[in-house]
Amino acid sequence: MNTRNELLCIWSAVLFVVLFTIGLWPLAHFLPAHSPTASAEDIAALYQARPWQMRLGLFVMMGCSGLVCAFVAAITVAMKRMENGLGVLTLTQLSAGTCGAVFLIVPCLVWTAAAYRPERSPELTLLLNDLGWIMLFMPFTTFVIQNIAIGLAVLGDRNASPEMPRWVGFMNLWVAVLFIPGGFLTFFKTGPFAWNGVFVYWIPLVVFLGWYLVMVVLLRQGALRAARAA
Amino acid sequence: MSDHAEHRPPHLPGETGVWVFILGDMLMFAAFFIVFMSYRSEDVALYVNSQHTLNQHFGALNTFFMLTSSWCVALAVEAGRAGWQARAQTWLLGAMACALCFVGVKFFEYSEKIAAGFTLTTNDFFMYYFMLTGLHLMHVLLGLGVLCYLWFSLRATPSAASMRTLESGASFWHMVDILWIVLFALLYLLR
Repeated sequence: MNTRNELLCIWSAVLFVVLFTIGLWPLAHFLPAHSPTASAEDIAALYQARPWQMRLGLFVMMGCSGLVCAFVAAITVAMKRMENGLGVLTLTQLSAGTCGAVFLIVPCLVWTAAAYRPERSPELTLLLNDLGWIMLFMPFTTFVIQNIAIGLAVLGDRNASPEMPRWVGFMNLWVAVLFIPGGFLTFFKTGPFAWNGVFVYWIPLVVFLGWYLVMVVLLRQGALRAARAA
Repeated sequence: MSDHAEHRPPHLPGETGVWVFILGDMLMFAAFFIVFMSYRSEDVALYVNSQHTLNQHFGALNTFFMLTSSWCVALAVEAGRAGWQARAQTWLLGAMACALCFVGVKFFEYSEKIAAGFTLTTNDFFMYYFMLTGLHLMHVLLGLGVLCYLWFSLRATPSAASMRTLESGASFWHMVDILWIVLFALLYLLR
């Protein structure tokens, strides 16, 4: 096992979190989220006001999302050590994590389509804007499955020196539960369960980005321990 | 109490890690409750009027089932500690039966509400009513899975590890119970 490459993949998550936040916040101004109740004209005005920065922000968000694939690979390698081989949980995590990366990239492309021709009919910009928000915050399913797979693998680790402490398993299961309310954004345009609400936008976003940082620390420890043992 | 008992370190039921999940989950529900109360304070009349349409009998019945199931789980832990595996399994079956009754009552309660035209999008009160009780119901179903797991794990020979598993699962179930008690008070009783 090449420890340097493994560490490279682990640290890529930090780069992802930093770049994604920069793209989302100061560049694209997608933090806080657009209001689901805003009129087509208001949304179109957002895209018309600063098309250049918005395109750049989305470019950065899309561009750094590929790093998630590298990080998913690092989790996969750690889980292989937990499962003593390529077990089903490892493979579930790998495929769910990969799908999850797609749902970071595609919404950025949809928003880019809106920012590409900001002068087009406001109704169409509204449609693309809706589509982007729904694509980024509704598909909890891949993230939930990924977190459950990690949680179960950590808790099922019967090795003499386990890869990760057991609380990490429970933390992953908890994170899985936290993402579920996001799926309900389809029913609401206002309140805490709308896509700009506290239980769909704020808490999942903070938990999502925070989860990467916690996992970086633990994966790094695991990789170094494995290198020493080898 | 003997000297020995006094010097025993405080006992945390179950394994330490499970409390990360339990406290984290309770934190999430605490956030639900705070947001509910703050929105409620802006339009108390709407919330009180909507609350009158809830069937308190269903709520009270489910509180009874939740408390009884929690009691069964506590007795199962007692039996497990005494080494009576079979008895612990029986108590767990009782807890699962109560949990299934809870799910059944919720099914009738939701059907009644939906038939009367109250849904997720009727107003803010019903948004919270369906979302919070729905997310709690999801925890009940998760908990049913946990209770099943505990039932099967009791078939193995008793050990310190299996006792910890029993306590961990029981702690989760008590959390599901306590969340319902708060939900019942906030949604059905608060005036």
